[in-house]
Amino acid sequence: MTEAAKSVFPLRALLLATIAWLLPASGHLLLGKRFRAFGFVIVLLIAFGLGLRLQGNLYRPTAGQPLSYLATLGAMGIGAPYFVARYGAGYQGMPEAQGFEYGTIFLLSAGLMNLLLVLDVWDIARGRREDD
Amino acid sequence: MSHLVLMTLYAALVGFFFALLWRRGRKEQTKLFLQIFLGMMIGAILVGWLMYPFPTGPAAPIP
Repeated sequence: MTEAAKSVFPLRALLLATIAWLLPASGHLLLGKRFRAFGFVIVLLIAFGLGLRLQGNLYRPTAGQPLSYLATLGAMGIGAPYFVARYGAGYQGMPEAQGFEYGTIFLLSAGLMNLLLVLDVWDIARGRREDD
Repeated sequence: MSHLVLMTLYAALVGFFFALLWRRGRKEQTKLFLQIFLGMMIGAILVGWLMYPFPTGPAAPIP
C-alpha cells in the first residue's frame, strides 16, 4: 500500500463508492481518472439508453420469483438512472417488443458494469489496486 | 435493429469496458478488447451455427 493510499480514510472511500454508484463513472472522475471516467460513462449510457430504447425489462422484485430479487439488485447497480427511469418516468418495458430480450440484457449489463466500477473506485481509494 | 447488429454492439461495449477497466496502456487495452470482442462474436456465431440443425420448438412464453 502506498503512502498516499494509507492517508485515505475508509469514510472517504465509502463516500466515493456511494457517489460512484449513484452517478455512473463519477467515482473515477473524482479520483482524477478523467479519460477512463469519460469512456465508462459513454459505455454505460449507451448500454442503458439502448436497453430503454429496446423496451427491455428493468427488473423489479416479483413475489414467488427469488431470482428477480438478484436481477433487481443487478439492474439497480446503475444507480440514479434506475430510479429516474422506474419512478420518475414510470418506465415499464414491453415484453411484446421485438428487442425486449436484448434490451433486458443491456439494462442488466449496464447495472452490473457500474457495480464493477464501484468496486474499482473502492479499491483505488483504499490503495488496494496498482494504478497509473 | 437486427440481432447481429445488437450482438456486435454488445460485444463492442463489453470489450471496451473491460479493456478500460482491467488494462493500462493503449496496446494492452487494444489486445484485450480484440480478445473479448472477437471471442464473443466468433463464439456466438459458432454456437448459433452448431444449434442450426436443432428444431426451434415453440415460442418462449411472455413473462
